[in-house]
Amino acid sequence: MSAAPQLRVSGGTVHDPANRVDGQVRDVCIEGDRIVDDLPANAPRLDARGMIVMPGGVDIHAHIAGSSVNHGRRLLPEEHAADPAPAPRLADGAVARSGTGGTIPSTFTTGYRYAGLGYTTVMEAAVAPLAARQAHAELDDTPIIDAGCFVLLGNDDYLLRQLAAGDPTRARDYAAWLLGVTRGYAIKIVNPGGIARWKSGGGAGGSADRNVSGIDDPVGSSSVTPRKILEVLAGAANALGLPHPVHVHCNNLGQPGNVATTLESMRALAGQRAHFTHLQFHSYGGERGKGWTSAARDVIEHVNAHPEVSVDVGQVMFGPATTVTADGPVEYLLHASTGRRWVNVDIELETGCGIVPYSYKEKAAVAALQWAVGLELFLLARDPWRVVLSTDHPNGGSFLSYPRLIRLLMDRAYRDEQLKQVNQRMLAGSALLDGLAREYTLAEIAVVTRAGPARLLGLKHKGHLGAGADADVTIYADDPDRAQMFATPRYVIKGGAVVVEEGQLRRAPAGRRLAVRPEYDAAVTRDVQRFFDDYACVAFANYGAEPVA
Amino acid sequence: MSPAARTVEHVTCLGCGCACDDITVVVKQDRVAETRNACALGAAWFGDGRIPQDVRVNGRAAPLERALGEAARMLGAAKRPLVYLAADLSCEAQREAVALSDRLGAMLDSITAAAAAGVLAAQRRGRAGATLGEIRQRADVIVFWGVDPVARYPRFATRYAVEPRGLEAPRGRGSRTVIAVDVGAGRGPADADARVEIAGGDEVDALGVMRATVQGRVASDEARFRGSAELAGRMSQGRYVALVADGEPGAAPADPDRAEALVTLAQALNAPTRCALIVLRGGGNRSGADAVLTWQTGFPFAVDFAPGFPTYRPHAGAAALLAAREIDAALVIGSPASIPAPLIGGLAGLPTVAIGPRASAAAFKPAVSVDTGIAGIHEGGTAYRMDEVPLPLRPALAGPPTAAGTLRALRERLGA
Repeated sequence: MSAAPQLRVSGGTVHDPANRVDGQVRDVCIEGDRIVDDLPANAPRLDARGMIVMPGGVDIHAHIAGSSVNHGRRLLPEEHAADPAPAPRLADGAVARSGTGGTIPSTFTTGYRYAGLGYTTVMEAAVAPLAARQAHAELDDTPIIDAGCFVLLGNDDYLLRQLAAGDPTRARDYAAWLLGVTRGYAIKIVNPGGIARWKSGGGAGGSADRNVSGIDDPVGSSSVTPRKILEVLAGAANALGLPHPVHVHCNNLGQPGNVATTLESMRALAGQRAHFTHLQFHSYGGERGKGWTSAARDVIEHVNAHPEVSVDVGQVMFGPATTVTADGPVEYLLHASTGRRWVNVDIELETGCGIVPYSYKEKAAVAALQWAVGLELFLLARDPWRVVLSTDHPNGGSFLSYPRLIRLLMDRAYRDEQLKQVNQRMLAGSALLDGLAREYTLAEIAVVTRAGPARLLGLKHKGHLGAGADADVTIYADDPDRAQMFATPRYVIKGGAVVVEEGQLRRAPAGRRLAVRPEYDAAVTRDVQRFFDDYACVAFANYGAEPVA
Repeated sequence: MSPAARTVEHVTCLGCGCACDDITVVVKQDRVAETRNACALGAAWFGDGRIPQDVRVNGRAAPLERALGEAARMLGAAKRPLVYLAADLSCEAQREAVALSDRLGAMLDSITAAAAAGVLAAQRRGRAGATLGEIRQRADVIVFWGVDPVARYPRFATRYAVEPRGLEAPRGRGSRTVIAVDVGAGRGPADADARVEIAGGDEVDALGVMRATVQGRVASDEARFRGSAELAGRMSQGRYVALVADGEPGAAPADPDRAEALVTLAQALNAPTRCALIVLRGGGNRSGADAVLTWQTGFPFAVDFAPGFPTYRPHAGAAALLAAREIDAALVIGSPASIPAPLIGGLAGLPTVAIGPRASAAAFKPAVSVDTGIAGIHEGGTAYRMDEVPLPLRPALAGPPTAAGTLRALRERLGA
């Protein structure tokens, strides 16, 4: 048996904020797939002198695999035709796969492009349990990156029944069981109760409102409200000791005046850990029909003052995007207001799916406001460990736009120049116009793109370069143009394998799956099985994403 | 039950796109003796489970190694190879097939090409849809558009759309209004609560009138569209409307604009109420092929790898290339019996490799054939219901080498 391969990344300028290393020149030692304290002097070296060394990037929230993402892919043949991705030429004769790009690339291309960007871990943020088997199959076809699935639970009919019956313990057991059978990583809530209302119908016989508008609106039963859903699932995630707390997409996404709902949701969970995702889409003042304003300051002040809260920003970047979400009613509104192509798929007993291809234009007032709100959140955040980077890929823009976003954060002159180009109509009151001078440091970028997300996800072996960590390392040329620097890392090491060399993808090992398997009272499975026998169209034994005997 | 019998429960039937996963298969002496819960179509699909296990080169029995070697030689030498996915493959085999096509620089197509109109309409317009179970839970108005599912999708009404009780349809059939739309010769269910008749040539115009009515516009006051306009009004009053149409080709070719008119009507109905369009699809995991091709290439069918990356050729797929004699070798995977007749003619004159259930008996007389099992009967893995809900397969019988395994072995020979 040969010894585990060794590699000394030598002489680089290391940014490893989790271990309080801020720009010191030091070696990073790798043995097998782990970081180690030291290696023999004759171990192979990778000369990183003059380069910047960071842990591999960690994306806390993206949509890269699963039934909804694939519906989106199918909707975008023009984008795929315009962005062909020939198979990369790998070292050692290994055969790579071709694919297509655009805002939702094919699976192999997704893996290659994330790795090419220096990202080695990505969380798929919205998996319908019914189609979890597909999400895992797609991730199996997404090389290099380690990935986990957030499982949709905030509109699940069985769960809502337990809330109506006043049985939060059963709800918690159900969440634990569901995470296990779907091979999930965290509990996701999307528009709590709103999708259930959207699915319950309209017309003369249905409810007047096809969505909820506040966190105390009843959902079917008067005892079930968005507040209740948030409380019970946040409590469940914390009681189960999940590595990542409940991951919340609030009600009223993208609506003017939604700041009220966002703050109420945060207050509803005060004192317990919760992650609020793509916060930018939930930080607007104003009211429908009367214009929008930025409410970023109000929201980020709450976040700053509440250490139990974490967020990712969900920055909007100008250019093409595809909005894809479980939040069906929101996508209906976007379709109705833009006339764009629209996919809606109601998913039985669980959730929804809505998709509208979109483009954020600098000259459009709302897009400019959204862009500004995201930057305000970043620039007014006091603790980068709790306010991390995302574009809600591909909703606010592709993950390929992260380097440009990083430059916006690090380079005030560049940012101010962009600000001049955008539609100013709704920007009155935006802190950006007050001349926010802050420029993120490399250390802070290392926090919001790897160390912070890894910590929020409870990934103890990710996001840092201490001994025992996964050997996921990204090495950049120290280019003063930070967009260029972060777009083209010189070397990327994943699990000890050098996957990018001299800026070229050279290896494409399979990624690993990140999953939890919390314990629960087995009595819940008998009750769930009864519910399946009464209502489901899939056999209980065939449900989930585990191999069958 | 004899002592030798064994049963396999929760088996997914791929006899049609319903993919009923409540089948109990009883096996006696290595034969399927009984398929409990299966409809007649499903029982016929399972048959007795006996399947040929031949490997042939030029019509003569040959060892598998030699067949694979010959297949690799033929396909590797081809300038314009075609890979064609027929029915009865697991998603795992389909994934192998796409990898092989990528390696060969092949034209890759599937039997979905026969249902292209619906796929293309969904790409132009999107879709307003739902998984089948959601129709069961919610729908109070179900409109069958020129189709009675009982013929090609026998358990659709009893398992999903009409009969079973749902969360918001507590009395099952009694909670729902079923409307049959007879479009030309395409008749809706006989036991519908109401019927509307539309002349075959008026179909697309009628759908346009309905959409206008839903949107509060008056498109026509002609008598021939009165029934359609009234139907649209009635649908607008529903709480959750299911519009059910057949996505597979029928006896008479459908108007190419029909699929798009159905999508836009269903979308428009989501202003006054909720509506889902259900497009019925056939069995053998053809929906799985769409999903797999989409995630691996970005396109659902008719993917040409010749340029070195996937390109979309929805109007110049396998049928067109075979007709134009541009293909010089073909790999046909899956059940040859599911391949549309016009393609058989095109394949007949070519050097072909067939890998799949009863491949040796293919009408196009393959040069190399490897019989495999049928996904769902002899082979495990994953398959998709017509609404793209993934289901595990539980093979009741052992069979010859699997399609996925055979393709992997072929890929290795090609250095891929």
